[in-house]
Amino acid sequence: MSEADMAIIKPEMMMKSYIWLETTDGSIQQVEQEIAMYCPMICHEVLQKGLGAGSSKNCAISLPQRVNPAMLSLILDYCRFHQVPGRSNKERKVHDEKFIRMDTKRLCELASAADSLQLKPLVDLSSRALARIIEGKTPEEIREIFHLPDDLTEEEKLEPLKNLMDDPRIRLLNRLYAKKRKELKEREKLKGKEVEERVDERSVDDLLSFINGKDHKVVKTSKSKKKNKKRKEHKNKVSHNLHSKQQGVQIVDETASSLGGVSNLLSMEEDIFSLKTDSEDGYVDDGMDPVLKEMLDREVEDFARRLNSSWVLSSGQERQPVHFSINGNGATRRLTGTHDKPFCQG
Amino acid sequence: MKTRIDDQSKPQTMIQEKYTKRYQNLKVAEALSNNHLYPFACNELSSIIDLGYSQLPKDLKAFIFRDCLSAFRLLPDMNTSAAVSAANLLVKSVESAFPKQKKNLAIVEFKQAKVALKRRTKSHDEHIDLPSLPQDILVHIFSFLDVYSLLSSSQVSRSWNQATSEGSLWRSLFDLHFSHKVSIHIHPGFDWREAFKNEYILYKSSKMLRSGRGYCSYCDSVVWHDNLRCPKKQCRLKSGKKPLDLMLTHQVVNYLLGTTSSSDESDSEDEAVRGLWAYPTLQ
Repeated sequence: MSEADMAIIKPEMMMKSYIWLETTDGSIQQVEQEIAMYCPMICHEVLQKGLGAGSSKNCAISLPQRVNPAMLSLILDYCRFHQVPGRSNKERKVHDEKFIRMDTKRLCELASAADSLQLKPLVDLSSRALARIIEGKTPEEIREIFHLPDDLTEEEKLEPLKNLMDDPRIRLLNRLYAKKRKELKEREKLKGKEVEERVDERSVDDLLSFINGKDHKVVKTSKSKKKNKKRKEHKNKVSHNLHSKQQGVQIVDETASSLGGVSNLLSMEEDIFSLKTDSEDGYVDDGMDPVLKEMLDREVEDFARRLNSSWVLSSGQERQPVHFSINGNGATRRLTGTHDKPFCQG
Repeated sequence: MKTRIDDQSKPQTMIQEKYTKRYQNLKVAEALSNNHLYPFACNELSSIIDLGYSQLPKDLKAFIFRDCLSAFRLLPDMNTSAAVSAANLLVKSVESAFPKQKKNLAIVEFKQAKVALKRRTKSHDEHIDLPSLPQDILVHIFSFLDVYSLLSSSQVSRSWNQATSEGSLWRSLFDLHFSHKVSIHIHPGFDWREAFKNEYILYKSSKMLRSGRGYCSYCDSVVWHDNLRCPKKQCRLKSGKKPLDLMLTHQVVNYLLGTTSSSDESDSEDEAVRGLWAYPTLQ
């Protein structure tokens, strides 16, 4: 913002010239020009688009997404203080220290907004304040303050290396599977033989057709349908699938109608099947497939047992799916929270 | 490795006043209001008390007592587990060494602090979702952090982890810690974080760095280092790129009291260093 430009603009308008700014929520407000021009981004907009920009309500300067009205007023307060040339450095420092005292959430928003308006001194101020908050804290404490999810795997935490996998949801899923794997291993020791027999795919097919009383082909077509969908959806479905199995089991219990239960189970099994195809495609980690199959087979086997035997569940069996969802970390819960559960009707 | 002022030869009565003055120069109390340094200051207080509170000159005892009270009063403002464990340690020292009246006063203060702390943690139960900070802002924030905080941040969440892998962060840390000792051949794709880690392990800096203390030869005093430099401007100008000699808590206490006690901490440097990179803890 050069002095010449300011000189050109001023005489053409009233003594106190105003600029119109529009935030993403649509609200438009009038701001004194000299204050608004303190922000480089606004300044550039005005200069680039000519003198007409921001001069009226109709051609208001639209602000970046990260600037909401509350932040805008904060930032304008900041600009209002600092654009006055006569203040001493000490005054400015004192003002800044008072200004920056706010809760963490607003600090984050402020840093974002200031950055998108390219107001570097304010970005520095808020960043330093945030750094002071972070300083000396353990990861858990930081997570608590910033309400961040704990979505790193244990291996990633041990070594601060760059992540090799790009899809975060795969990582999430891997983590869940790792946990499930551990549980399975423990159960293996207890249960023994049963597990070893259920390794090959065919048993799943058999069970499915047995349970559903339908043709192999039906299952397979649905399998091919799923193949075309994106991987991400699959992963999401399966992870909350395993969680919602608990619900599915309860529904099966409550409704006591075989059809309802079977169709639930069918769609569940489809998803598991589709996960299998994914795993066969090699997207999931190596060394996981046999374990994964094992896990799935056992779940399927459990359902088969339940449907065939009485509807009353023993407490031991019931604990299986419950165990998983409770043991799932916060990320699991978040994941299931954000997606619709097609199986549970409330 | 470090120049230390050793007063063992002088008669004890003569150096009473010197202790008090030294203690004041240490500025332990000032560090208590600093979130980051609070645990270290508390540890120094604990060590001093443990080493021989009863033998201290009267006015020094008064200072120590006053600072212990401040420590407890400030505890609720410190929102970290490190602060709480440091305060617990301090209260143990207080319980064993202080005379009855002072002990009771200090313990009352401590208990009040604990209550206030509990009240604070309860009010923190809002499950609001903070806006996610863009990566370049995260990197900018991290540029102000020390090694430990940076490593802590890398374990917080995925996006933070990505931000901490930014090479420029580790480059400036490397410059800060090692540039006066090591010259590096840089090539494109040079991994500054690995370089930093290797140097760090090599120089076994972990424990020293954690105390927050350093000895400045220019002003001949033990200070709380500001990014490994003396907080005094003149010293910084004189020293240039050279960082301070870092000191451990027990060395600080030895300096103060003119004793030569050894540290209680286990000297398994490897373990400490590995621990740093796995999960940094402040004690």
